[in-house]
Amino acid sequence: MPITILSPSAAIPPQHAPPDDEDIPMADDDDSAFLSTAQPSSKNIVTPGETITSDPQWMRGHGTYIPPNTSTIISTVAGTLHKTNKLLSVQPLRARYQPEIGDLVIGRIVSVQTKKWSVDIAAPTLASLPLSSINLPGGILRRRTAVDELNIRTFFSEGDLLVAEVQQLHNDGNAALHTRSLKYGKLRNGVFTALAGAGGGIMSRRGGVVRSKRQTFTLQTAAGEIGVVLGVNGYIFVSKHVAPAEARDVSITRLEEGVSETLYSSQNDEVEPGLRREIARVSTLVRGLVACGAKVDEDMIVRVYEAAVEMEEEERVMGEKVFGVGEGAKGVVRSVLDRLAVG
Amino acid sequence: MPLDTSTYSLALLRLDGRRWNELRRLHAQISVQAAASGSSYLEMGNTKILCTVSGPSEARRGAGGGGAGSSEGNLEVDVSFAGFSGVERRKRRQDKRTTDLSHTLTSSLTPLLHLHLYPHSTITLTLSILSQDGSLLAACINSATLALIDAGVPMTDYLTAVTCASSPSTSDEEAGDPLLDVNSAEEQELPFLTLGTVGREGRVGVCVMESRVRGEGVEGMVAVGIEGCARVREIVDGVVRGYGKRFA
Repeated sequence: MPITILSPSAAIPPQHAPPDDEDIPMADDDDSAFLSTAQPSSKNIVTPGETITSDPQWMRGHGTYIPPNTSTIISTVAGTLHKTNKLLSVQPLRARYQPEIGDLVIGRIVSVQTKKWSVDIAAPTLASLPLSSINLPGGILRRRTAVDELNIRTFFSEGDLLVAEVQQLHNDGNAALHTRSLKYGKLRNGVFTALAGAGGGIMSRRGGVVRSKRQTFTLQTAAGEIGVVLGVNGYIFVSKHVAPAEARDVSITRLEEGVSETLYSSQNDEVEPGLRREIARVSTLVRGLVACGAKVDEDMIVRVYEAAVEMEEEERVMGEKVFGVGEGAKGVVRSVLDRLAVG
Repeated sequence: MPLDTSTYSLALLRLDGRRWNELRRLHAQISVQAAASGSSYLEMGNTKILCTVSGPSEARRGAGGGGAGSSEGNLEVDVSFAGFSGVERRKRRQDKRTTDLSHTLTSSLTPLLHLHLYPHSTITLTLSILSQDGSLLAACINSATLALIDAGVPMTDYLTAVTCASSPSTSDEEAGDPLLDVNSAEEQELPFLTLGTVGREGRVGVCVMESRVRGEGVEGMVAVGIEGCARVREIVDGVVRGYGKRFA
């Protein structure tokens, strides 16, 4: 068999993006620094090891460091640069949740100790929930007693989900939680969803849960009311909405009467199949929103939910698939978002 | 059977047709697994590695390295080879080579990461080697760097690595040419070292050599290695920036 020699084809040029070595241009005059306060200063991102500025007038914030014996500020994470007055910080594209005081978080009990619980809130360390920062059942604000300590597992035991607020932060970043409000407490009758890397109100990343005024809201559906809790730490809980026991003469002294034994019950109520379907729909849509890189907040969820229901209704009337719905949650949300953009 | 690498001195082309200072195709992606805190996929030629980072999260009780009590975070590295990764199917799960590899990764990455920001926490790095064709340690270092950046763990600078071999010398007086980025055929035949540098200015962070080489050759190998690391850093940086553009 004769050997044929093929002429060589041209090599494919390397596909790598050319590195832009320029540093981020810094505005030195104060006016422009004020204008761009807490705004991403540039479309470009900075990467670890990149010199941000060597001007000593700036202070370093999160995501930066100053090597010893220099005044150069260098980035330590890949993300967008933020200027707040004279403070330079780099907001990473994606990171673990870092607790801040006042955050509404959803957590899961990991272990029970003598006077406190350890709670997983997706932060670098476990948070603690002291027995003294929960509402004890039965009547007015009462002191916790030794009996409560012995019965600690009747309030929360391992694996329970709860919604709480970050009360304080210790020096080493450990968070202490509290549930001293009727809004907080044990979660049941619903579905838990974790959105990895999307918590912490990371603004430079477009998607994910952001800190907002209303983190807990109810959604009207055909099958009934659904309660949605958006934890800032990227944990989401969608459940059947149980109306609080009728608000009769709520006074400060009688507030605690609402705290009945059912608050710490681990028994789910009866959830009707229709409602279960809607709960599943909402939690899937939330996952899809994150996969599409969209912001997750009350307004967005309500709009996407309503559009998704409408779309399903139209499809049923037509008796066939009218919309090019892709695979999975991401595909559904993408077609819903397209529809919202058009309509 | 020893491979014949002596043709290099005649054509100045290596077995796979590269010149002495050519890297193999380097392809990388980050954020490949949505469920992990950070992840990366890296190909250096036919060496393919999937790396995932989980954490920083609460240190496990009784885990080694004093994670729970220390004021600094703790880095754990877990390397696993896929059964189909090599030419022959491997049976043993853990051997000395795997332990060495994970130890080198831990000790080279720990000084770069700002672990003092995460007291009582552990960062777990899991590397799955899907296919091996030389430069294994270098590829592991590069993919670990990418995955840690994706996880948003603060670090001083990129740590990038390449391998560099010394070609068989033609005469007795002088050492052979340095060859950049060896594949497994060259790795079996030639003495080589793995070199990792930190940042643009090329501070050496890792240098591993497991074979004998003529003393005169080492300087050239290190010099070529540093150049190669700088090139890898540019490529890896381009991957991170390309990913960042999606959020701009």
